[in-house]
Amino acid sequence: MANQFGFIVHLERCVGCNACVVSCKSYNKVEATINRRTVTPLDENLTGVTSRTYRSIACNHCEDPACAKSCPTGAYTKDENGIVVHDFDVCIGCKMCSYACPYNAPCFNPEESRMDKCDMCKSLIDDGEMPMCVQSCPLEAIECVNMATIDESQYEKTVDGFPDITITSPNVRFVMPTAGTVVRRDS
Amino acid sequence: MVEKKNISRRTFIKGTSAAAILAGVGGTVANFDGELDASQAQAATSSTATKCFNSCPRNCYDTCSVVSTVEDGVITYVTGNPNNTYTNGRLCVKGYSYPRSIYSPDRIKYPMKQNGKGTGDWERISWDEAYDLISDKILDIKERYGDTIPIALDKYSGNFNILSYCVEGMMTSFGHTTRVVGTPCWPAGIDSQSFDFGGIVNSDPETFVNSEYLIIWGANPAWCSVHSMAIIQKAKENGTKIIAIDSIQTDTASKADMFVEIKPSTDGSLALGMCKYILDNNLHDLTWMEENSIGYQNFLDYLDNNVTLEWASETSGVPVATIELLAKEYAAANPASIWIGYGMQRHTNGGASVRAIDALVAMSGNIGKLGGGANYAQLDTWGYTYNAQVHTSYPEGTPEGADRGVNINNFGAEVLDINTNGDIPVEMLWVACRNPISQAAETGVMKKCYESIDMVVVADMYMNPTVEMADIVLPVTTIFETWGVHSSYWHYWININEQAIDPLYEAKCDVEIAMGLSAALNAKEPGSCTFNTTMTSMRDWVEAEMLDSTLASMGLSNWEELLETGTAKVQGYETPFSDGVFRTPSTKYEFISENAAKYDNHPLPAYRAEEFAPSGYPYRVLTPHWKLGLHSQFQNLDWMSSIHNEPFVEMHSSIASSLGIEDGEIVKVSSDIGFVTVKTYITDTTPIDSVVIYEAWYKDIDFNVNYIVKATPADMGAFATGKPGIAFHDSFVKIEKL
Repeated sequence: MANQFGFIVHLERCVGCNACVVSCKSYNKVEATINRRTVTPLDENLTGVTSRTYRSIACNHCEDPACAKSCPTGAYTKDENGIVVHDFDVCIGCKMCSYACPYNAPCFNPEESRMDKCDMCKSLIDDGEMPMCVQSCPLEAIECVNMATIDESQYEKTVDGFPDITITSPNVRFVMPTAGTVVRRDS
Repeated sequence: MVEKKNISRRTFIKGTSAAAILAGVGGTVANFDGELDASQAQAATSSTATKCFNSCPRNCYDTCSVVSTVEDGVITYVTGNPNNTYTNGRLCVKGYSYPRSIYSPDRIKYPMKQNGKGTGDWERISWDEAYDLISDKILDIKERYGDTIPIALDKYSGNFNILSYCVEGMMTSFGHTTRVVGTPCWPAGIDSQSFDFGGIVNSDPETFVNSEYLIIWGANPAWCSVHSMAIIQKAKENGTKIIAIDSIQTDTASKADMFVEIKPSTDGSLALGMCKYILDNNLHDLTWMEENSIGYQNFLDYLDNNVTLEWASETSGVPVATIELLAKEYAAANPASIWIGYGMQRHTNGGASVRAIDALVAMSGNIGKLGGGANYAQLDTWGYTYNAQVHTSYPEGTPEGADRGVNINNFGAEVLDINTNGDIPVEMLWVACRNPISQAAETGVMKKCYESIDMVVVADMYMNPTVEMADIVLPVTTIFETWGVHSSYWHYWININEQAIDPLYEAKCDVEIAMGLSAALNAKEPGSCTFNTTMTSMRDWVEAEMLDSTLASMGLSNWEELLETGTAKVQGYETPFSDGVFRTPSTKYEFISENAAKYDNHPLPAYRAEEFAPSGYPYRVLTPHWKLGLHSQFQNLDWMSSIHNEPFVEMHSSIASSLGIEDGEIVKVSSDIGFVTVKTYITDTTPIDSVVIYEAWYKDIDFNVNYIVKATPADMGAFATGKPGIAFHDSFVKIEKL
């Protein structure tokens, strides 16, 4: 059976710094104006008390990727590790994938007139290393795992504002932030 | 002139974990425009990559040791140095952006002169022409005034490479000049700790994991010291209770076990309230106080006579029960640590607040303990010869006299005053390692000041607002294009900085610029400049900075050993003051300080009242650091603007609803000296009577929060740094819908 790799994002550690976004952009030489990973602020009441929380998301390398289904040229395939791989040479830049993907993972690169998308740093994984977002996060808030090996009871499959996961079955899991004690001013 | 670098092929990292992180060299290579280049991409796969050790030179707690991957003379990627246990092999968001910082299309490529400040009418000139114009001006000033005092320097923290202190040395090499005195960042707190401890010496922040209880008081490491945040996160997961005391529920506060919101500028009252509870419940360490301090009885009497929990609660907004809980838990924990941030001391009572927190730490007996401390900052790792700064002397024939000091925190107004009141004017200004038009308070006054100066020379990498007000701009190298050595003011590591690549375009480092100008001056008037022009190897400049005692404190016998690891740690700072010897006049901890009194402060850590909103300006504006930038650096890069590119005001929902302001609405925020228009971001993480606008320079956006920030002095700073600090967070505003 083929592997399926995915991301675990520890929202209890993420401080929304965007180091994952910038290290990815740098290592993968992504066009300056677009990002393969994004960090989004979540509802301030997510934990039950006011606090700042974030979600860091790249391509979720879905079980049933909408990008692949929508692509008229067959530019998207899943590799032996379940990574949804985009073939730059086959892509015609029609943007159908970006409309289909619930997570806005494929981005249009205006310089190349082609799409651009996270490949989970496939070349690093092939070398037995972690993707750059995982290696770079100063808070060690992102993991890359073989999904078959995880204890699903430890993780959430969705989070505030996340699209309906039944559409594509994304391979991402979350550890929720926890509520601390919050003492606000009484005057 | 810069020594051609011979990139070492040595295996620079030992150990499997390091190798696992760093072995991955691949991908493709960007050329200077950030576009893919097929021939370089080909080369990237042929194992031509080498590694260099660099050091982030920014004004930051973390001062990271950086590993740069260099392929065919181009830096393709940077990451943290795993040999440095503080940074743990990782950088922050700003650090990871360095490849863009280096190869940004916005880099200034060659010297230019502007036909009229602020006109944008720039003309390319050669370095020789630049040196010629500047040296003519210097010699003309010297001839007309018989002195070089009309030449001023404004330099600070944009680049903390020790070699960049050559700019101060260059000024001395002309003769007497006008210099900025003081620091905008942290002087009130430095004075506080200088009065109490005799200096600033924090515990090694890597010892936070040894604390049972850690109070992060007015600091936001999640954004401003993310490697400390990682240590704190590990401590928390290991059972350390993390408390955040702040006026803003920052990302740090949002990750704490307990966040306690406090009214801005009232931190001293909370600390004193905690002290009072500790005293009343006999939780203080009287033995430690008796053995190690002076004036403790006066302080305890002050608490008895002047402090009640009700007063502390009313002043700070923290409920009495919470003050009691904090005091009880803090006193019971052994050890307990406090991180004293810089935010709280940027007030007119900021120094007094830090002294009150110091006193809390001292009376609890948490000084000199592993995992304890009143942790503010340190400068003990800054032991260098400062050769670049001090190798020069005033040229022969320099008249009697001295340099003229101008307060760095009120530079605009003071120079305008000098230039209009018949004093010897400032006719020439040199700006290096600084963007004062962005960063100094009262931007409008600063611009008028620049207009009153005949020649403004700015050395910088980008066309920032200060360069816009220059007559001549000189392109400087990034840290990757030269050599250097760097210390932190927080952790205890020292980093070497190797030249990784050739200078881009016509950029030169500060040392080379000073040498070039020196040569030009001496060609016109022999002996007019004493700056060294013969030491052409930048490695020699680094070597000349090294002190044997500092090397020995890192366990090194030779500075070149630093090239093997990139970084080394000064030993012996896990438990500062554990020997009970303080750097005060009494050699004890001084609850009562004659030095404090001498500088017009209360001799005791007594409460000093905060500023209140004046009529017509009901909201305080807090202007802390932004996560995608450090002061005016980084946010200007397109890599950052692809994430965020819009100045904004964080506004509590109750303020917004009372003013009928919607989320996302553009509002006008005005103080009595100026205004900014910004987008509203409604939140409940900010105070009910203050708004938050992060300081930053956004390229091509007409925004600068310092248009509304007044140059109000803080209570302390003059003792240790020469001038008082600045109360950046004591400006008040009104908010209007547009």
